[in-house]
Amino acid sequence: MADQNIVQSLCRMCDDHCGIHVYVEDNKLVDIQGNKDHPWNRGRLCIKGRAGVDMVNAKDRIRKPLKRTENGWEEISLEQALDEIAAKAKDIQGKYGDATMSVWKGEAIGFMQQEEIARRFIHAIGSPNYFSNNSECFVGRWIGYSLMYGRWNSQPDFENSKCILLWGANPAHAHPNMTQQINRGRENGAPLIVIDSRLSAMARQADYFVQLKPGTDGAFAWGLMRELIHNEWIDHEFVSKYTTGYDKIAAYASAFTHDYVAKECGIDAASLIPQIAKEMYQAAPAVINYVGNGLEHHENGINNIRAVACFDGLLAAVDAIGGNYSPVGFPLKELTLYHEKPLLDLKPIGRDRLPVLYDFRQECHTMTAMDTILSNDPYPLRGMIIVGANPVMTNPNAAKVIEAMKALDLLVVRDLFMSETAELAHYVLPAASYLERSEYHIHGGCQIIGLTPRAITPDPETQDEYQFFHDIAHRMGAGVYFPWKDEDALNEWLVSDSGVTAAEIAAHPSGYKYAEKKDRKFVEAMEQTGKAFNTPSGKLEFASTYLKDLGYEEIPEYIPPAFNVKEKRDYPYTLITGARKVMYLHGRNRNFDRLVTACPGPEIELHPKDAAALGLETGDTVKVTSRIGSIEIPVMVMHHKEIRQGVTQITHGWKEANVNFLTHDDRFDPIDGFPLMKAVEIKIEKV
Amino acid sequence: MRLVTMEPKKCVGCRNCEYACSYNNNGTCDSKQSNIQVNFYPKEGVCIPLTCMHCDEAWCLNVCPAAAISRNEEGAVLVDQSRCAGCKMCMLACPYGNIHFDTAKQVSRKCNLCGDEEPNCVNHCIATALNYEEVEDMDAGRGAFDTIIVKKLQDGGDQ
Repeated sequence: MADQNIVQSLCRMCDDHCGIHVYVEDNKLVDIQGNKDHPWNRGRLCIKGRAGVDMVNAKDRIRKPLKRTENGWEEISLEQALDEIAAKAKDIQGKYGDATMSVWKGEAIGFMQQEEIARRFIHAIGSPNYFSNNSECFVGRWIGYSLMYGRWNSQPDFENSKCILLWGANPAHAHPNMTQQINRGRENGAPLIVIDSRLSAMARQADYFVQLKPGTDGAFAWGLMRELIHNEWIDHEFVSKYTTGYDKIAAYASAFTHDYVAKECGIDAASLIPQIAKEMYQAAPAVINYVGNGLEHHENGINNIRAVACFDGLLAAVDAIGGNYSPVGFPLKELTLYHEKPLLDLKPIGRDRLPVLYDFRQECHTMTAMDTILSNDPYPLRGMIIVGANPVMTNPNAAKVIEAMKALDLLVVRDLFMSETAELAHYVLPAASYLERSEYHIHGGCQIIGLTPRAITPDPETQDEYQFFHDIAHRMGAGVYFPWKDEDALNEWLVSDSGVTAAEIAAHPSGYKYAEKKDRKFVEAMEQTGKAFNTPSGKLEFASTYLKDLGYEEIPEYIPPAFNVKEKRDYPYTLITGARKVMYLHGRNRNFDRLVTACPGPEIELHPKDAAALGLETGDTVKVTSRIGSIEIPVMVMHHKEIRQGVTQITHGWKEANVNFLTHDDRFDPIDGFPLMKAVEIKIEKV
Repeated sequence: MRLVTMEPKKCVGCRNCEYACSYNNNGTCDSKQSNIQVNFYPKEGVCIPLTCMHCDEAWCLNVCPAAAISRNEEGAVLVDQSRCAGCKMCMLACPYGNIHFDTAKQVSRKCNLCGDEEPNCVNHCIATALNYEEVEDMDAGRGAFDTIIVKKLQDGGDQ
């Protein structure tokens, strides 16, 4: 009889960290089920959580270090791989300067500590050039909200809410177990309002569905603001005590009449705006405005997000129970070296052009990185270590990404699989999965922290994240910054200021509760420090003097998307990319046979009238062309309610039809640098 | 008895239940192989998950000429595939369309509440539209469920 264990852990098939029971027999993973005691998912698990089995056990997992040779991939020992990578990186730095090496973090490996370990490494070897998928995900929302009141909460208090608005967000596919939380809020009486160009899974249960044109969310938000202000449906006491710039937004909002919003967004604004504004007013402050990735990939993305963030001020929903509650943080020690090693003088890539992205997140700009690699301007970027990222599939302008990756003198990819980016590398190293390493996960919404155990022992040459960077840093003379002998020692250190030990946290597999819920923390902060929020004025800033000083408009102005104002003759359709599928995560999971049976391949979603005009039916193949490239892809004709006429959608991550051959890397939001990926002008031809 | 209950007002049509059922039945995530089926009607704006309700008066059981369908001690209505002749009478008899045909084995298949395990469809329902719970009077619950569906379909959606 095999020795079966149930190990309690946390899922890392997406960023939701659901509680799981991991069934292990003789160090082999057998099954994964939800943990009923975990407050986030209460035993429920989406299908990709279960398919962690397929990821960890996959036959095509990389299990040996690989080196590119003239005769193809050659298996080499881990020692040789680490020695050669460190020597080449040092050589590049010696020839061109320290900043010419870089690191790039993705989401495939687990990233609560992965991100900071990667940052620590690159800074330890003297380069400021940390890149990540966050040049196009999450950070747009984080910066948008942070400009307004110093933080963004990605896990609002749905269960206690009295009115839930989802903007460009489809939690049912992107954060599956948020769906049950939203449903508990609905059971308590909260109306669900979904603002999206597509009838998403979540929109199927919406009480109000606002199917606007892509990228026009800002106009709708301003229309709602005008209604709230006009009706005196705002919290004047909060506004006068805790905010700045109210007069400026009140003046700007007046132009967003129902007629203007109707025309700009393509919706029945005269009916929707009064009803929705009233719902918000009646529920305040227990109103949630939750912004998804849908708003980020536009040329006016960050200001559309800021326009939505204004509601938290107007309705006093910031840090409110049932509103955008701001969780109490856990005091993990910082792994970054910003204090020890100042980086600004080292010219982080993209910082000149996009100072806000760098100031707020210390993110270098990945789109600028491609140009830098290919042009050596402002200086050469010759080496890159990529951990768990696949920019060939996920960054815009895939053709340029491929050209740039090929132009590097040293490209190292650490991953579980031979990704499209790994195929271009000089070295590919096997990485430990989330069940083969130990790291902290924090659920801000529940105010709990967990420490995952190593449920199974990885292959001898499969390293965890810390061990890899430790070993390279020691070989490159930066070992002083990596003093902990292994991941466990690092985990001890990370909580050493918190008053709780790693062992105590590990003893709570359903989460160690580190703080009780405490709302309205800004009141106390104002009394004690004179600053209610972490902004330059200490108040919630409807208008940002920080942005004004940098030459930007101070209020979140609305600029219509290009497709809405330009002549459409050459590229008559508007393409949204990146709608989520519950079984996939970005570019991942397409190599699991089982999940592919649920969603076998790429498709372009078309409105039935557009399909008819083009003479197309489901299953036909079309050639889709943007200004920069073409792909061929099968057609899926949707119901007329599921997508707007003239609007199409392609989910990213398919090598058979990589939609990022169509997306632009030279058209982006001027504040945070996020690329235009959700309103791409295209033409469609039958093949 | 404990049954899988279904709340159309919570279902978002994510199909995790179908994938999970198929995972257990045959190791794939092919929705067509699932014993629970979710239908989304965009025009009416309604999501309807449907799986066997193990009716007190089970027409499938009564009609089966091979006596392949029986009720176990807990009350679950089960198909014995080794006895099934593949005549599809049960499929015709079920008013809800909850019996399916296994084309590979040429026999009927239906929900067996996952035997000794908790139903997988419920464990993977991220919307909590599906629950495995003690139901005193399934007909009463089902009546409310049917009323919602009938009303939505009669209203015919808003376009």
